Amino acid sequence: MNKNLIYFLSGTFILFNTFNILAQNEEDQKLNIIVIGAHPDDADNKAGGTAALFAKMGHRVKFLSVTNGDAGHQDMGGGVLAKLRRKESEEAARQLGIEEYKVLDNHDGELLPTLNVRHQIIREIRNWNADIVMSPRPADYHPDHRYTGVLVQDAAYLVIVPNVTPDTPPLEKNPVFLYLEDHFKKPTPFQPDIVVDIGQTFDEKIEGLNAHTSQMYEWLPWTERKLAEVPEGSEARLKWLEKTRSGSITSAERESLKKWYGKERGGEVEYAESFEICEYGKQPSEEEIRNLFPMLSKNQ
Amino acid sequence: MNKRIFLFFLLLSGISMYPQERENQPLNIIAIGAHPDDIDSRFGGTAALYSKMGHNVKFLALTNGDAGHTEMGGGVLAKVRREEAKRAGEILGVEYEVLDNHDGELMPSLHVRHQVIRKIREWDADVVLGLRPNDYHPDHRNAGIVVQDAAYLVIVPNVTPDTPPLEKNPVFLYMQDNFQKPNPFSKDIAVVIDEVVDLKIQALAAHESQMFEWLPWTRGVEESEIPKGNKERLAWLKERYTNRYTKNGNFDEEARNAIQKWYPSPDLSKVDHVEFFEVCEYGMQPTEEEIRQLFPMLGSKVSE
Amino acid sequence: MKYLFLLAVILSFQFSVNGQNQEDEPLRIIVIGAHPDDADIRAGGTAALFADMGHKVKFLALTNGDAGHTSMGGGVLAKRRREEAKRSAEILGIEEYEVLDNHDGELIPSLHVRHQVIRRIRDWNADIVITHRPNDYHPDHRNTGIVVQDAAYLVIVPNITPDTPPLEKNPLFLYLEDNFQKPNSFSKDIAVVIDEVIDTKVRAMAAHESQMFEWLPWTRGVKKSEIPEERDERLAWLKKNEIERRFPTEKTFDREGIKAIQKWYPSTDPETVKYVEFFEISEFGKQPTEEEVLKLFPMLNKKE
Repeated sequence: MNKNLIYFLSGTFILFNTFNILAQNEEDQKLNIIVIGAHPDDADNKAGGTAALFAKMGHRVKFLSVTNGDAGHQDMGGGVLAKLRRKESEEAARQLGIEEYKVLDNHDGELLPTLNVRHQIIREIRNWNADIVMSPRPADYHPDHRYTGVLVQDAAYLVIVPNVTPDTPPLEKNPVFLYLEDHFKKPTPFQPDIVVDIGQTFDEKIEGLNAHTSQMYEWLPWTERKLAEVPEGSEARLKWLEKTRSGSITSAERESLKKWYGKERGGEVEYAESFEICEYGKQPSEEEIRNLFPMLSKNQ
Repeated sequence: MNKRIFLFFLLLSGISMYPQERENQPLNIIAIGAHPDDIDSRFGGTAALYSKMGHNVKFLALTNGDAGHTEMGGGVLAKVRREEAKRAGEILGVEYEVLDNHDGELMPSLHVRHQVIRKIREWDADVVLGLRPNDYHPDHRNAGIVVQDAAYLVIVPNVTPDTPPLEKNPVFLYMQDNFQKPNPFSKDIAVVIDEVVDLKIQALAAHESQMFEWLPWTRGVEESEIPKGNKERLAWLKERYTNRYTKNGNFDEEARNAIQKWYPSPDLSKVDHVEFFEVCEYGMQPTEEEIRQLFPMLGSKVSE
Repeated sequence: MKYLFLLAVILSFQFSVNGQNQEDEPLRIIVIGAHPDDADIRAGGTAALFADMGHKVKFLALTNGDAGHTSMGGGVLAKRRREEAKRSAEILGIEEYEVLDNHDGELIPSLHVRHQVIRRIRDWNADIVITHRPNDYHPDHRNTGIVVQDAAYLVIVPNITPDTPPLEKNPLFLYLEDNFQKPNSFSKDIAVVIDEVIDTKVRAMAAHESQMFEWLPWTRGVKKSEIPEERDERLAWLKKNEIERRFPTEKTFDREGIKAIQKWYPSTDPETVKYVEFFEISEFGKQPTEEEVLKLFPMLNKKE
């Protein structure tokens, strides 16, 4: 009788620990992705769909805005605008289902690749224990976008150096650094090394962009002299965003889609987001890319 | 009744006049270089053509050139170069402003960026010309960067809000250079300047401290090689400056294609001197039609 | 008459001595890296060859490397790395190894650093300046590339850092080899075969003990137990892990590499070559003819 009890108890003990270990492994298998944009709404624009997919699959996504966007409006500015845009970011995060949206307090339109901002970014990447870091290329019409690109390049590699911003522990490995897509050709054109089908989360992406009201329906149309085209009412506005923000798929992106999803599925994808591998981070093999982007699948 | 008809016709004529006025409204062009004389050598001819056609051209030097000489420097040299710039401006028919940042020390700081934004706005520019950030001189590179950094921001009201924002992002262009890395200059627009090339040379000659003193010194030219008489100096300068990359005989295939694109039926053998420009991706992206509107001298008959 | 003859003899003697001096005058080379050990890794072999031939080589590290270690940092590490640099210089036979006191991981291409660089290039009276390309994974390497580019040309301008006399001519500026492709890849313009000094180079690199056997392996996840203890084994391990890993055979002897070797060593069979250091010519310094390259790199074109 005692022997059986012992077997039972030890069996349960072993099972319990096994589940614990499995659960821990699952924790460890969660990817940590940080998307770094210049202004609140930049990350959403270029990676909102992918972020929502990662979140759905249980991975941890953080958006970081290096400036507070306090110049981006025709009737508001400074602290008032920054406060509003921070609130809009929080709402966008809820719509996308991502874990965190942080907005640093550097001024919009005044970003330069200084050490103090570089160190802010190193700390953010480390604290998030990032496996993947996304940022703009240093080629773009907006100086804030370009300098965000330079700053994140400057943080690459240094994130593993203990003596740099030693108040945060260094990352164990240099993460994979990716560039968000752009259409600029000089000095070199964007290369869509990785393209993600965001059909499943296109609605979430639009809802996320919708949260940035001051931008989507006010500032950006104003800069394009298209304020009159902005519809009234939330339904109409969402439809308008769907139409104007769906993006297009270039032939290079189509090729890349076929590579990752197979010819058939790749040819049918309607909405996509692309990424280029930055030479200054970890250089992933094809297998490692599939591990880091579990949504890329020839099977689904 | 008659009054009404009269008013009606007045209104009608007013409406038909409006688009004509738009077409006749002078363009505002601002060219931004690092030192007094940078712009003259790369854009002087086109500027003179604009000026002759009644358009408003401004040259802006971001530094005062106070390092560019062997015997003079600092405030003394800056004063000399500012006066030279003024004379060059008079010859070409352009306004010439020289900021007081030090030569050899130009950084793409916020301070300089804001100076540039204000100047572009005050000029209400339709076209902005700058240098590419590929060049042997750090001031040229940084002048290129800081003008790129001003692009787009010129329309943002909250940036340097002491000046009203431009209504539209202007067209931004790069002036020509010869550097290949990381990417070579692209001859997107070609302007034939034969009819004003002598004016251009005269304007360059106004920058005496540079053309006949500093630049030859940096290139190891003996003082004895530099002619003394005015006519001889102009001829000497013409030989050195128009040979650089704009002279016929040095036209590569890209150059020939560019000239033939913008000039309807040129006899290329009659074209001697051309200035080329590249469209910057960070400003407004003009259609071919819009380029012809912004460069009204294109397509005119090449002078015999 | 006798005196005239004597005078003629003395004068001709002077001329022949002068001619000889010109040929015998040692070349002056400065290699500017971001950290102590950067110059050694990418130009150590070439430096040793220059030194062997009696030319004057200086290594300059713009930062003191005080971030590059896991259990040391700041002043303590800087001191250690400065001593390692000194030992490396002795092994390579170069004249000087200077380590500036800017912090590792914090190099910005400011005017202050630019002026430090201009003064050093001038004080060394450099014929050749070698540095990083501004494409590289490490921001210190990139910014070193930028700040040395910013010094190019300005080294001949008297009004810049006028406390040091300007160079008479803009030197030849070269880039150390790197692997980066964007925005443009490294160009193997000059090839230097370093087979005869490879062991010297490895020993010099080994002098940077804190890096080669501690910091760099740690960053790559190499366990301490994998690193040998005994001296000869350590050198062999270093050769494999720092030279062969960084400059693998497939990369050294790709089409471009073989072409470069054949160009500069026409009477050498590339199959017999094992180790090469490549350099790219910067557009911002002197643009040398092939003849001038051969004069500046006297180890090339050696007839076997």
